[in-house]
Amino acid sequence: MSNFKRAPVSGGLPRNHVLASLRSTQLVDSKPLLPAELISTILDFLPVADLFRFARTSRRMQEMVYDDTRWIQRLKSMGCWNEAEARQRFEESMRRKQEAQRAREAEEARRTGVGLNGSVNGIAGGGDGTRKTSSTLFDAGVEEERHRRSLERSGRPRNGTLQDGFDAMTLGSSDGDGARQDPMQALGVVKRARSIRGYARQEYGKIYGALAPYYLDLARSRSHTDPVLFQVYRDPEQQARMLAQLKIFAKSDFALGWHEREEKLNSIMGVFENAVLREFEQGYESKDVDGRMRRYAHILVTLNGGAAAVDVFIHYHPLMLEKDKLGNPLDCLEGASLGTVSLQHSEGFFRRLAGAINEQVSVVDRVFPPSTDVILPLLDRVGEDIISEYVTALFDEAHERNIESYLKAVSGVFEQSLQFARSIEPTKDSAPDFTDEVTRIVARSIEPHVDLYLQEELDFFKRRSDAEVTQWEKRLFDEEASTESFFMSNVNRQAVKRDFLTSFKKVVMLPVNVLPANPFAAAKATVTQPATNGSSLDIISRPTTPLPTDRSVTPRPEAPTTELAAKAAIMNSRLEGIRSLFSIEVALNLIHTAKSSLERVANFVQLGGQSSEEAKEQCEAIFVQLLQVLGTRHIKTGFDKAVTHLSTYNPREVGEHSQSGVEPLVTFLELVNVGDLIQQMVDVFYMQEMVYAKLTDRDDFLSPAIKEKKRFEQMLDERVAAGLNKGIDVLMDEVEYICATTQLPTDFNPSVSGDVFQQVVDIGPTSTATRVVEVVSSHTSMLVGSTDKNVLDVFNQEVGLRLFTALCKHLKRQRISVDGAIKLISDTNTYHAYISTLRNKSLTQYFAALRELSQIYLISADHAKDIATIIADSDRYYGIFRAEEVYEFAERRADWFVVKREVERAMYGFGCCVM
Amino acid sequence: MAASTPATQMITLTTNDGVDMTIERQVAERSILIKNLLEDVGETGEAIPIPNVSEPVMRKVIEWCEQHKKDPPASNDDDSDSRKKSTDIDEWDQKFMQVDQEMLFEIILAANYLDIKALLDVGCKTVANMIKGKSPEEIRKTFNIQNDFTPEEEDQIRRENEWAEE
Repeated sequence: MSNFKRAPVSGGLPRNHVLASLRSTQLVDSKPLLPAELISTILDFLPVADLFRFARTSRRMQEMVYDDTRWIQRLKSMGCWNEAEARQRFEESMRRKQEAQRAREAEEARRTGVGLNGSVNGIAGGGDGTRKTSSTLFDAGVEEERHRRSLERSGRPRNGTLQDGFDAMTLGSSDGDGARQDPMQALGVVKRARSIRGYARQEYGKIYGALAPYYLDLARSRSHTDPVLFQVYRDPEQQARMLAQLKIFAKSDFALGWHEREEKLNSIMGVFENAVLREFEQGYESKDVDGRMRRYAHILVTLNGGAAAVDVFIHYHPLMLEKDKLGNPLDCLEGASLGTVSLQHSEGFFRRLAGAINEQVSVVDRVFPPSTDVILPLLDRVGEDIISEYVTALFDEAHERNIESYLKAVSGVFEQSLQFARSIEPTKDSAPDFTDEVTRIVARSIEPHVDLYLQEELDFFKRRSDAEVTQWEKRLFDEEASTESFFMSNVNRQAVKRDFLTSFKKVVMLPVNVLPANPFAAAKATVTQPATNGSSLDIISRPTTPLPTDRSVTPRPEAPTTELAAKAAIMNSRLEGIRSLFSIEVALNLIHTAKSSLERVANFVQLGGQSSEEAKEQCEAIFVQLLQVLGTRHIKTGFDKAVTHLSTYNPREVGEHSQSGVEPLVTFLELVNVGDLIQQMVDVFYMQEMVYAKLTDRDDFLSPAIKEKKRFEQMLDERVAAGLNKGIDVLMDEVEYICATTQLPTDFNPSVSGDVFQQVVDIGPTSTATRVVEVVSSHTSMLVGSTDKNVLDVFNQEVGLRLFTALCKHLKRQRISVDGAIKLISDTNTYHAYISTLRNKSLTQYFAALRELSQIYLISADHAKDIATIIADSDRYYGIFRAEEVYEFAERRADWFVVKREVERAMYGFGCCVM
Repeated sequence: MAASTPATQMITLTTNDGVDMTIERQVAERSILIKNLLEDVGETGEAIPIPNVSEPVMRKVIEWCEQHKKDPPASNDDDSDSRKKSTDIDEWDQKFMQVDQEMLFEIILAANYLDIKALLDVGCKTVANMIKGKSPEEIRKTFNIQNDFTPEEEDQIRRENEWAEE
């Protein structure tokens, strides 16, 4: 401590000043005095009263006791210390301080300027002035200033009132006394605590002064009526506030024995709470909403947040006691036909519940202060007790009766419960996420059923789709005997398909559009969507037989459904030819079953969290299942059958060739068309149901749905490719058959018959060529619009090449005269013309080469040399024929033996002649 | 030091008055200082010098450590909540602390030096109990504190904190 300050004022030990200090050092040596940090630790264990007695022993101890952090810690433990506020105050006071300093500095400067420097000390008389002028620390900065102030405060405790521009914050001991004297003042003392650096002790003092007497008295009291608190404050509101404050205050009691004191406080609070709660209950029983209920609820909230009051309120809530009145879960199943569920009853249940709760909202607003959240706990309880119970009973019963009605019930009730959640009105002071919160609560009561439901849904779909396919296969088996093929005109096929697809899309999209725009209020009288979809499915599956029972309930989707059904029927009649292999109708049914399942499941995606993930997974599983049944079981077997048909086809065994097509091939190509249609349907379905509904991520290549879809498409392509391969074989067989059976030997060698003029007049392709072109073109064109362009190109190329080979082979079997060459050239022209329609350049070259080749027959025997030139001219044939091959063709000339020598001579030179 | 099983491994400490004391490692490790030392230095078998503590005090400290060797190790989050440590002193500790004041302070200093938090707390609580209810003059006498206040100054402090009086 600063000696020079003490010297003039104290005068307590002026004489033996030196000796005293000497003695103190001796004492310290003999008796160890603990270091400051240990003393500080000891002080932590002292009650407040003892702290200040300790402070009075010496300056050092006082400094330690007064240390601001010690008191800040206490304020913090009560939650009364606001660091930000403290900093702000500190900065503000610093600014004021500096301003004051500048003013003083100016004054000082003025004074020193006058030349009274020497007398300043005397005038200031040991106050601030002395220190400042002696050390001239005006510009020593903020920290120095603060330090000085704290020294000054602890050094000169007699200055009870601390000025220094801090008048606003001056806190003397009188304040504490005042608080103690005025019981009304004490009620809000904790709230009034301020965070001021350097004044934490005083602030704590105010609180301590107001509360400690009650607190300590309470801790000492024997019975529950003893404490002064209950005598000073007669009003239960005030008692509650005081007790709540004491509860907070107890947190700053670090001294030994705090544990017992706090227990005591808690037990007294418990007694008090119970008493108030009884009053509240009585008020509740007599339905005294605005009187006793309101009053005691407020008291309980003041005391400790009112959790007990909320509990009682909810526990004895009439809603809990009269839950049977809301509706019987089994009503939904009574009277409903098998596989359906009448959701009006559950609808009514939710409506009545919503009404009751909305009524309660206003009661709650009247009884409880706005800060207390009562509605959510109430809803929590309602969800747990009422909704859960209702739903469980309904689901269990439905599950036992019929899986399909179970599925419809779960999905439907879930949707209703979400609407219920939306219809609950928030209280006056509910958080903005009130509705979300309610939704979560409601969803939680249904969640336990979701797992089972999802599993059942998938199983149900599996069974249903299996049954569908099996049934169809059975019917097919029955009809197989009378299978007949049907040649469909390929006119307008693409347009029909596109038309069909648009209506399909419309139906797929429709419920998606309707569903979200279906507010609870408007939907009250109607049934929810899943049921609707379920019945629309029925309509589609039997397009010609309307179902009068279900129709009346589902007015909305009816029109597009029937339109689609009509389109499907048209399509079907057009594609009747391949009915024997697989059916677009079955595919449509499957897709619709999948759709209704998916839509039911998709509801649960709104649940959020894990269930939502599971629901999504289940949606994908359903989709995968759909593809498997559709692909593997239905389409694949169909294609396989078609391919088998193709491979067993033998043109020579088929008696009738009058038709312009090869029957199995036509069938197959139609199949490709239908397969493509189904694939597009799946694609549309995938986009509408899975991607737009956000059930799956299109870019997630790991998603099982996408993998399965890829596999499905791949499977389809593979089947198509395999079939086409076989198809080409069959087609070529047919071509060869036509060539072999219809080409007359006189076609290219008319001179045999001698009737030259007649033949020459008839310029044009032979009937064989026309037939071949007809057959080939009719088959290739069937694929247009149904297969991928690349596949089509490959197919055409293959067909062209094989045709080319077949024709070459055919040509080598003929004998051609110069006159017949005209015929041949027109044949090759026909082929070439046809091939060029395929727009395949290399293919066109082949046939151009063939056309060139046919010219060697036109040259008369007199110009053998020219024949040789043409044979050797490989450029002419685009490199497709080598000279040797052309030579072979030349051998087929009717007059070959006449010109052979000449030609060979021209080709191989005279050497050959010498030989 | 004789080799022994890990469970009863012995170590030797040398106090500042040159006395060697051999104790169980587990007991010695109540002191965080010794524990860290052993961990850092490893098994040397040499005696560990404790230069700040004399033999009688060390005996007392070891007695406490023996008693409390089964206690859970002190938590690291020191005085996060000052209420946690101000629990009551148990009976054995109360008896243990019935020593003259000089010894009490020596024990506190030793506990502080050796970093035995629980012992330090017990010591401080005992001192706090000694202070409780005493007048300033009595406190001064007990703890040998030099009064450097004038009576007026002292009175001023009392008045300033009148609110705290019971």
